[in-house]
Amino acid sequence: MGNLYYNKTAQWAVYVVFFAALGVVPLMVSDSFLLNQFATYGVYGMLALSLSLCWGFGGILNLGQGIAFGLGAYGMAMTMQMQSQTESNPIPPFMLNNSLESLPMLWQPFQSTTLGLILAVAAPTLFCAVFGGIMFRARVSGPFFAIMTLAMLSAFYTIILDRQAYTGGVNGLTPPGSFQFGDFEIDPYSPAAYWVVFGFLMGATFLTKLITQSSFGLVTQAIRDDAERVRFLGYSVAGYETVIYTISGLIAAVAGCCWVMLVQYVSPAQMDVSFSLSIVIWAAIGGRHSLLGSILGAFIIQGAQSYLGDTFLATWLLILGGFFIVVVRFLPNGLASLVEKAFGLFERRDPTSSPAPDGGRPLPAE
Amino acid sequence: MDLSSLLNALILGVSIASIWLIAALGLTIIYGTAGVINMAHGELIMLGAYSSYMLQFHLGLPYLLCLPASFVIVALVGLALERGLIRYLYNRPLDTLLATYGVSLVLMQGVRLIFGSDPKYLAVPEIFQSNVMLGSVSLSAFRIVVVAVTALLVIGLWLLFYKTRYGVQVRAVMQNKEMAASFGINAGRIYMLTFALGAGLAGVAGALFGVLAIVLPTMGASYVVQAFLMVVVGGGSLAGSVVASGVTGELQSVFAFFTNDTFARFIIFVLIVIFLRFRPQGLFAQAGARR
Repeated sequence: MGNLYYNKTAQWAVYVVFFAALGVVPLMVSDSFLLNQFATYGVYGMLALSLSLCWGFGGILNLGQGIAFGLGAYGMAMTMQMQSQTESNPIPPFMLNNSLESLPMLWQPFQSTTLGLILAVAAPTLFCAVFGGIMFRARVSGPFFAIMTLAMLSAFYTIILDRQAYTGGVNGLTPPGSFQFGDFEIDPYSPAAYWVVFGFLMGATFLTKLITQSSFGLVTQAIRDDAERVRFLGYSVAGYETVIYTISGLIAAVAGCCWVMLVQYVSPAQMDVSFSLSIVIWAAIGGRHSLLGSILGAFIIQGAQSYLGDTFLATWLLILGGFFIVVVRFLPNGLASLVEKAFGLFERRDPTSSPAPDGGRPLPAE
Repeated sequence: MDLSSLLNALILGVSIASIWLIAALGLTIIYGTAGVINMAHGELIMLGAYSSYMLQFHLGLPYLLCLPASFVIVALVGLALERGLIRYLYNRPLDTLLATYGVSLVLMQGVRLIFGSDPKYLAVPEIFQSNVMLGSVSLSAFRIVVVAVTALLVIGLWLLFYKTRYGVQVRAVMQNKEMAASFGINAGRIYMLTFALGAGLAGVAGALFGVLAIVLPTMGASYVVQAFLMVVVGGGSLAGSVVASGVTGELQSVFAFFTNDTFARFIIFVLIVIFLRFRPQGLFAQAGARR
């Protein structure tokens, strides 16, 4: 006891400081392209967060987080595409190129922005609930579930590639205008877009933190550590796993919507195996047992890729791969475990083992 | 649709099945024995293709000799990988998956640095370039070579696992590592040899795939997911992978006959997910499997 790393008050304090720091970024950065880039990091942070919830706190390694992300992104792109279609020109150009005469059924609901947004988030969430429910009830877990998500991801990737007339095929969708919500137009390079992403990231982080601290979260962590014992205690393991997998999918779907809002583009590359695995890398390097660690992992890796990637263009993947191997081999709980160990050094070893009061050390946890 | 074109699809299916199978063979052995999910398998296949290319281009080795040579080279790479990394992770199956993905990134980028991203080609003897008529199907002779090599490897592996002392030891370790160890079997050594063997098989697959498709640093990525699925559907045993690949190859060929190749792959993926819902342990579960 006594390690400040585990102190809930300190953790929340760090969260508040962290988000306050992120919140003032638009006031400091005037370069709108840079701001847009920072906002996309927020999306990556959301993805890492969603994986941390399901893998770090639920023990479910999901190599197919790109499914929820990609479906959300496609839903958003379809909504934005339909916003730019008018009465006289109701069909997106790529469909005409694929000789579609009328708008397909699949696309009709996206004519309404509200309905489109709801679908963009609800469809991936529903998919996660159904797929997760089926798999977890069959007691598919661990590496097997990881392979199944990989198979499902490949299936989606293939079908989107194949149905070119409906999905734009390998070119994907490039909605021409920025997203309009009611009377507001959210320019992807404006601070407003940053605030939206920031708000969702903050909301998702606080929600996730509350979940992990609730009794529900404690049960999922127990399942992570030993599913059989929890089952013998009478809990519905499959139920808990499905719920946490679905919440994680919901966050990833929201991240997908935000991503398209920022880059106005989606293609099957977002459902590629390598993208989903890079989400796993972010969470693993940052520390999957720490929500903030995972988010920072995404920031660090993607930031390094943007800035070092130009200098070490040829060797970046080599560095990343090597670093990842070292982390997995020697630091299985990621960089966050270093912080945990560092605080352990300050731990007060009181023989009476009463909970140590904070000894006036204003050190940040996590 | 007539019967003869369906027959054609079935014959093509054998060829597709042999590709699925040979990609999955090495993975089956590694997963079945050590429980290691080797995400770098695709890159080992890629290394096999590049070793054949090197041997052919720089040493002028005839193609048929490149196959065993690639086996040896990639087996040595696998050996180094096992000694340097995998052996520390045997009791953390999910971490082997992650670490080997890191390895796959390093191998892919390393090869790209050395050889560049431009495609390389493997030359094959004249007789393999012709087409052979099987009934009314025209099949390239090289695809028959692939089927033959796959069949030889499966027979060879079966003999190795069921007729040799090494095979008995492998199966003992698979069933119960501690018990096997108490009978004087060095489990670590068995894992090491098996990993090298599996890697070597990936090398042979790469030497073959280098002819079927072009040789690129990224070529491995497309094989690894389908190879995994064969292993999981088969349940990690040799017979399982053979049956799984056979059925999948035929189904894919028949579906592709009715729709197109990409859509057929989609159906296969979905069918596999549905199948594993009802039989998560795969077709032939290992006796005494601990996973």
